[in-house]
Amino acid sequence: MTSLAVNVGTLTLRNPILTASGCFGYGLEYDDFYDVAELGGICTKGLSLSPRAGNPPERICETPAGMLNAIGLANVGVEAFCRDKLPVLRQRGVTVVANIFASSVADFVTITERLNRETGVAAIELNVSCPNVTEGGIEFGKDARMCGEVTRAVRVATKLPVWVKMSPEAGNIVAVAKACEEAGADAITAINTIRGMSIDVEQNKLRLANRTGGFSGPALRPIALRIVWEIAGAVSIPVIAIGGISTTRDALEFMAAGATAVQVGTANFADPSAAKRVLDGLRTHCENRHIDAKALIGCARG
Amino acid sequence: MSSPVLPQRRLATLPLLRRESIGGLYHVLTFEDPDGSKALPGQFTMVRGAEWGDAPLLPRPMSYLTAGHAPSILIKVIGEGTLRMGRAEPGEPFTLLGPLGQPWRAPTPGRRAVLVGGGVGIAPLLFLARELAAASGRQPIAIYGGRSSKDLPLDDDLASLSELHVTTEDGTRGTRGRVTDVLSDLLGPDHEVFTCGPDRMMAKVAELCAARDVPCEASLETPMACGYGVCLGCPVPITEGGYLYACTQGPCVDARRVDWSRADHAPKKGAAHPLRTKP
Repeated sequence: MTSLAVNVGTLTLRNPILTASGCFGYGLEYDDFYDVAELGGICTKGLSLSPRAGNPPERICETPAGMLNAIGLANVGVEAFCRDKLPVLRQRGVTVVANIFASSVADFVTITERLNRETGVAAIELNVSCPNVTEGGIEFGKDARMCGEVTRAVRVATKLPVWVKMSPEAGNIVAVAKACEEAGADAITAINTIRGMSIDVEQNKLRLANRTGGFSGPALRPIALRIVWEIAGAVSIPVIAIGGISTTRDALEFMAAGATAVQVGTANFADPSAAKRVLDGLRTHCENRHIDAKALIGCARG
Repeated sequence: MSSPVLPQRRLATLPLLRRESIGGLYHVLTFEDPDGSKALPGQFTMVRGAEWGDAPLLPRPMSYLTAGHAPSILIKVIGEGTLRMGRAEPGEPFTLLGPLGQPWRAPTPGRRAVLVGGGVGIAPLLFLARELAAASGRQPIAIYGGRSSKDLPLDDDLASLSELHVTTEDGTRGTRGRVTDVLSDLLGPDHEVFTCGPDRMMAKVAELCAARDVPCEASLETPMACGYGVCLGCPVPITEGGYLYACTQGPCVDARRVDWSRADHAPKKGAAHPLRTKP
């Protein structure tokens, strides 16, 4: 009997397959498809202090083997999440990673303190890398000092594990990851989307109202893999990989590069069962080889 | 009004049963569904070729034209995804996620249904017209328009199910002009309008109905990545402020809820905002 469990710091996940923030709602949209409690965990839509309506349309467009989104962190706010969503997730035994977003260090701390009052939050993931909002977001994530400051403030404010989601647009992403590690992060999530753009040349119009949007999907995978490899080689805390993971093979590739767990994102859109499919394939892979999932971590590193 | 109980959604891989080229850029794709689709009129499905690989990446939102064991959709070839659909051969597998979204609201007893459609917007209206015919109520009025006679797919089907008025902007079929010209002439106080087509058309229809206090239900079309409420890519501005999401709160909505002045009037899907460097 193989074990799929992996440890992310002090947190043990039942398996290394999670779903990515912004690509899985609040985990309550999947009742018709499968039991999301089977997953290693779900990362919620980014939660802010107050509800946000998000950007005007158009918010999304397709690109070759990928897509752009400029949702603008539309979400119900941390209070409504704790009141309406979390109790259901908790009752179902879902491993919940609360992804949070703020435009100031103080607000990051306030959201964290609100989550501290709840049971059923397994970890907090700091979104310091959203490319689609005008303040906060990516500005924190690009700068090692600022990113470390946010991480430290949240670290001090909670006993929950703290994950920090990296922006691929940081000049030196390894330096940012190290700064987060030094500030007490329990794990690094890499990577968030990269800013992209698309123009309709028939009408000479930008396709997104926000002009730019975060680029995601399979086309992003090699870049994400390279970054995960670099960060995993530079920090001693776990790395959670994200970037175009659609199949079990993709998940294995990222774990081989050093990821402890992976997040399935854009693939959920075309196939609501994508993460479950990745998980089932991973289980088969491990069983056929009589190995535990832990043995996959970093297996391609010399 | 209480919400109807919606059929369970599922992702099914179904073979294409047949593709009928119905002129111009239009095709009807019919799939073979042994379990039968329980879709209600106005609901939609996210359709993607099961063998497309990584591109085109996203499924395409399509209103059901028919449900049951041979669910079908009407497509217009406008991009990479619909181009492949327009070339598909019988047997080719497709994934259909559905039924999704809010169906048309139940027609109000005592009101005569007026179906106002443009182009591929005819699909959910035809589904509704067949339901109305099956319920053996009074035949609906239909007003169906396009730029020219080539832009009226499935007009014969609609003619057999309704008192049909056709308009074309170039006058090559029916009345020269727009559907709203005809609607303005015949809209009565005991009517109830169901509309699907370009935003600009539906905005005008909604305006006419609101001015005469006639109920109007609109089926919204926007780009979508998921179709089931998680990508948040399909916001439609509403009068109370903020947005509704066309996938779960629509596509069929009370037209009065939509802030048509802020709704995207793009003539074509995916094209929205002026590039300011270009005059």
